Amino acid sequence: MLLTNSEKNGYMVIEFEGSLDTATSPAAEKEINAFIDEGVSKFVFNFDKTKYMSSSGLRVLLATAKKLKGKGELKISNLNAVIEEVFDVSGFSSILNVYKTEEEALS
Amino acid sequence: MNAIKKILVVDDEPLNISILVELLKDKYKMMAAKSGAQALKAARSSSKPDLILLDIMMPDMDGYEVCRLLKEDESTKDIPVIFVSAMNESLDETKGFDVGAIDYITKPISPKTLEARVNTHLSLTQQSLELREAHALIQQQQQRMQDELNVARDIQLSMVPRTFPQDEAIDVYATLKPAREIGGDFYDAFMIDNESLCLCVGDVSGKGAPAALFMAMTKTLIKSYASSDFSTASIMTRVNDELCEGNDENLFVTVFLAILNIHTGELCFTNAGHNYPYIIKADKSLLTLNQKHGPIAAAMDNMVYKEDLITLDKFDTLFLFTDGVTEAMNNEEELYGEKRLENFLSEHDCKDVKRNVDLLMNDISTYENSASQTDDITVLSCFYSGQSILASLNISIENRLENIGLAVEGFDAFCEENRIDNGPNQKVNLALDDLINNIISYGYKDNDVHMIDISFKRLENELIIIIEDDAMPFNPFEGEKNNIDLSIEEREIGGLGIHLVKNLMDSCQYQRKANKNMVVLTIQL
Repeated sequence: MLLTNSEKNGYMVIEFEGSLDTATSPAAEKEINAFIDEGVSKFVFNFDKTKYMSSSGLRVLLATAKKLKGKGELKISNLNAVIEEVFDVSGFSSILNVYKTEEEALS
Repeated sequence: MNAIKKILVVDDEPLNISILVELLKDKYKMMAAKSGAQALKAARSSSKPDLILLDIMMPDMDGYEVCRLLKEDESTKDIPVIFVSAMNESLDETKGFDVGAIDYITKPISPKTLEARVNTHLSLTQQSLELREAHALIQQQQQRMQDELNVARDIQLSMVPRTFPQDEAIDVYATLKPAREIGGDFYDAFMIDNESLCLCVGDVSGKGAPAALFMAMTKTLIKSYASSDFSTASIMTRVNDELCEGNDENLFVTVFLAILNIHTGELCFTNAGHNYPYIIKADKSLLTLNQKHGPIAAAMDNMVYKEDLITLDKFDTLFLFTDGVTEAMNNEEELYGEKRLENFLSEHDCKDVKRNVDLLMNDISTYENSASQTDDITVLSCFYSGQSILASLNISIENRLENIGLAVEGFDAFCEENRIDNGPNQKVNLALDDLINNIISYGYKDNDVHMIDISFKRLENELIIIIEDDAMPFNPFEGEKNNIDLSIEEREIGGLGIHLVKNLMDSCQYQRKANKNMVVLTIQL
């Protein structure tokens, strides 16, 4: 999994390339936490290049959302149909802020 | 058996003892005691008296006290006691009977009276003992008969299979609920070769052990002939001839026998006097197979049975049953009936055969309410999906987390080769990731290398995924449900993976097979 980041409109936009699963989640979480420790508090996670996410990936998102509660923002964008279904089934679509596109998330 | 009876004489006066001994010693073995204490000792000894002649007036312990003590002791309470009293003694008869004596003799003693009384009481005691022994014997016999019936019932139930042939093209399930008395129902389902499935149900007339034995014979004969004969008419003809031989009890059996070619859907069947089965179509309409091919079996030998052929459509269900279903009665003695059965079959989804059969049995049970079940109830359901395996893949990985990626990559390639869409592909990837992660992380107590076997089978419309491991017994699908309505703070991180698997896959099953865990997932394509 490759994480590329850029700054837009005051948000740290992170693009996740590859799958977010058992193998790749620990490293991804580490990188995200590094940003939070540096003081970044507003994030957009763009999953356009992510094929699927297992529960390990969901855990990373949940952990991040809990960390930022009250102190920052976490927005999710560009989920494919399968990951959208995963979000619905798990109830994550009601507890995370999900947007269709990065542009919508940033506006 | 008729040993000489022993009589114990108790009196503090030696003269009185010798008088009684003299009168009785020809017929009985005599024992003597000069006091209450001695009497108790003699009565409790291993040489127990069969009757006690007890003086009332004695120093230390009087006769009443001795008698009371005798009756209180388990080992002496059944010995009959006759009080012997002198004419000039004040007699308290009620007290005597209260302490448990059975008779009185007054002195001076008339020899004839003494002999008669002693004889009578000894006989009475003997008869009472014999009655008790006879009663115990009868009870034992009854228990033995009941035990034998239970054993016969157990044999009946163990003869019918509880596991069923597994194949992609068919799903079979059956159950037999016996009545209190053995009724002689049976069913069977087995593969003759790798493309022929044999199904049958039957009902032996009569009840009890003979019916159970006949049922065992019929079922065994069918299986034996079916192994080399694909014509149900031919099988039935030969089975009938065998059953007629030596059928002294004149038992009969109704049979419905069918052989299904699971690749072509062709069904060959013979009905020997059995109630008509149904075919439930995919659109829930019912087709009654109302062809008869010969009489009830075991009645007449040299009968030639016929057969019919039909072809099942994909997603048809063949539904066999015995008349215990339609003739189940409620408290008002009304029958469950064909209409009710037909309604049930057209209303319920048949694809999950086990669930469907269980629901029907439940429905019948509820209908019967508190009325007792008078006949065996047998139901067999066979769902024909007509699907065969188009492609398959087997992957084995060592139990390390980094190997999950290997399984996923192998499966991705399989999906490409076999034109499986991205949606199902990714959902299965998620399931693999979560389930295998669980196995590797929590399944092993040692640090050894273990193999996890994953197999994929692609049918036309379905993908079957089987994961087998030798980790500790664990059913991932059991356990608390994940509450998805909680807020961020309240959400638990655990249990989410299984929740996703259950909801994204079309079916999830767990089985413990030998010493392995086996998870079977299916997803529609």
